[in-house]
Amino acid sequence: MTQTTALPAGGAARPAGREAPRRSRTVRRGWQAWLFAGPSLAIILVFIAFPIVQSFWFSLHDWKIGATEQKWLGLANYERLFGDPLFWNAFRVTLVFAVVSVVLQLVLGYAAASALQREGLLTRMVRSVFFFPTIVALATIGLVWRFLLDPSIGLVAGITTSFGLPAIGWLQDPALALPTVIFVSVWKNVGFTMVILLAGLKGVPAHLYEAARLDGARGLQLTRYVTLPSIRPTLLFTTMILTINSFQVFDLVYVMTKGGPLFSTDTLVTMMFREGFENFDFGYASAIAWVLFAVIMVLSAIQLRVFRYDDVD
Amino acid sequence: MRKITTAAAAGIIAAVALSGCSATAPESDGPVELTMLAGFTGGDRAAYEGLVDTFNTTHDDIHVTLEIQPWDSIAQTLPAAWATGQGPDIAAPNFDPNVVANYLETNSLLALDNLGSGDGQIDADVLFPAAVDAFTVDGSLYAVPANVATLQLYYNKALFEAAGIAEPPATVEEFQQDAVKLTADGVYGLSLAERETIQMWPILQWLEGGDIVDATSCSVLDTPEGIESLTVWTDLVKQGIAPVGLTGAESDSLFSAGQAAMQLNGPWAAAGYKDAGIDLGVAPVPTGVDGDVTLGSTVPLAASAKTAHPAEAKEFLAWWTGKEAQKQFALASGFPPVRTDLADDPELSADPVVAAFAAALPSARLYLPGVPEATKVDSEGYVPLIGEITRGADVASAAAKASATINGLTGCK
Repeated sequence: MTQTTALPAGGAARPAGREAPRRSRTVRRGWQAWLFAGPSLAIILVFIAFPIVQSFWFSLHDWKIGATEQKWLGLANYERLFGDPLFWNAFRVTLVFAVVSVVLQLVLGYAAASALQREGLLTRMVRSVFFFPTIVALATIGLVWRFLLDPSIGLVAGITTSFGLPAIGWLQDPALALPTVIFVSVWKNVGFTMVILLAGLKGVPAHLYEAARLDGARGLQLTRYVTLPSIRPTLLFTTMILTINSFQVFDLVYVMTKGGPLFSTDTLVTMMFREGFENFDFGYASAIAWVLFAVIMVLSAIQLRVFRYDDVD
Repeated sequence: MRKITTAAAAGIIAAVALSGCSATAPESDGPVELTMLAGFTGGDRAAYEGLVDTFNTTHDDIHVTLEIQPWDSIAQTLPAAWATGQGPDIAAPNFDPNVVANYLETNSLLALDNLGSGDGQIDADVLFPAAVDAFTVDGSLYAVPANVATLQLYYNKALFEAAGIAEPPATVEEFQQDAVKLTADGVYGLSLAERETIQMWPILQWLEGGDIVDATSCSVLDTPEGIESLTVWTDLVKQGIAPVGLTGAESDSLFSAGQAAMQLNGPWAAAGYKDAGIDLGVAPVPTGVDGDVTLGSTVPLAASAKTAHPAEAKEFLAWWTGKEAQKQFALASGFPPVRTDLADDPELSADPVVAAFAAALPSARLYLPGVPEATKVDSEGYVPLIGEITRGADVASAAAKASATINGLTGCK
């Protein structure tokens, strides 16, 4: 990426005589590139870009599907949103979900990846076991866990009660519901994080470790000064993907709790779904979508900045 | 270059738009094809399919294709489809009768003006009155009841016997005493759901003389009667007669596992409980302080305002609510008929399940009928209130908070 942005800057500094043929070639090549990109671009424009822009337009109205005239509200939907305690609740729940699950997934994923780095039949089998939940659909996982955790007929309650312990309503108690959903989310996704970080770890050249050892680095020092800096691009990618996914969490929560009990697992997306598809308040739901969009944009920018801070390339 | 891209994008948008709009069916000599969409995925599904089959075999000029999808999917796709003139000719848009108002906001529903007692006419005078009220807006009828159900008291005969109780409770006092008596050894007296189902709590409140909103859609939860009705049941729940925080599905599985002795539920649940091996009894909801009462529910069945075959759609709805169809449906499903003039039919009164649920129809009340923003009153007012008080919140202050929320939503001054 740095290379491509550097090229035009370098080109501009050159004498005018050599610049002209260069530009025409760039333009011609650009035209062909657009041709190749055209079909995908058209799909993105029609199915992604246009709806995104349109949803902003919705958010400025009291939008009723199919109505001939839509009532203009300006920013009233946003004002209502910022005064809505349910929005702030959903914002808090989403934030807690994202921070806790991203941190846990990174830490556990890294731990699993470094423990299972060595090649061998056993490590491969364990890796597969860790990865297995990742390939199952979230909705399926949610349903299975909901059954397992049911306080009356679930396996977990069956085990605890056979030891004389009380059956716990994991998804019925507002204090436990969010931690439980986070646990299931981490359980499902930690294999994905592990595989990505494993690829990163495998890419660290062995000579870096040798050199560090020669310089006297030991144990955690190797991790701190060799491993982590070397896999920074992988960490950036993983963190961003996990963060974005966590902020958009929907299917798991919808299947396990529908945002309940008492809104204790109500995330921004479940709230958006409720406002849009249960209350048919599409303007308000679109406003939620745009706030979420803004939050994710800002967070991604911060993450890019943090991870690139002392990048030298 | 930008022009080319824009032109290409515009061309593709146009192509997509055109292909989406090319659904007009060519005229032919065969029967008129109607499509119907509904969310009857439960044990009663076969009864609806049987009804459509009967219609098709008795009508040469109209053929109806019934498509069953989960209610969630219908709720997500139908509003947009109908508002833009696409989608099925006929649909049960939701299990909640209050959505009729939402669809009317987008002028999506066909007014049913073929009223009367003749052939091909909808006899609104003999249909379940609360449903007709709920589906009539500004004097026009916009839907017929696809079904009508009442909640009854399901009880586990084996657990009753084990607790030494011979008969199901007949009054609210007996109901409460039995619930306490039946609670023991990991068995709950009552399986009670707080969300994601047809509400059970309004019945408990009505039995004790309380209510949710009055005729002007103002909350009466924080009146002395409202608070008293909530307190009585909350105290019993805190004593342990019912588990806290269950969804409808969890409440059902508790009862099918034989871990709860009683439950308030509709006719759709009976088959599943029998399959689960429960020694099942169905009794009327015990008499409350103000007499007999139970919760009724009705699924609206409506036609699209933009259907290409309005006359045939109306004819189908008239047939659906007719005597023959309703008799067939009641016998196949255990639901009471949507008509009130079949009460004395010998075949129907011989069926104990149909008879039990039909007997409760006159005392059945709908949940939040005609209340503005009813879905939000439920999800943001009533459900959180029940959740809070059963988890230990002070009833009076929680009821006051819920009242403020509800009044804000309904526009009550």
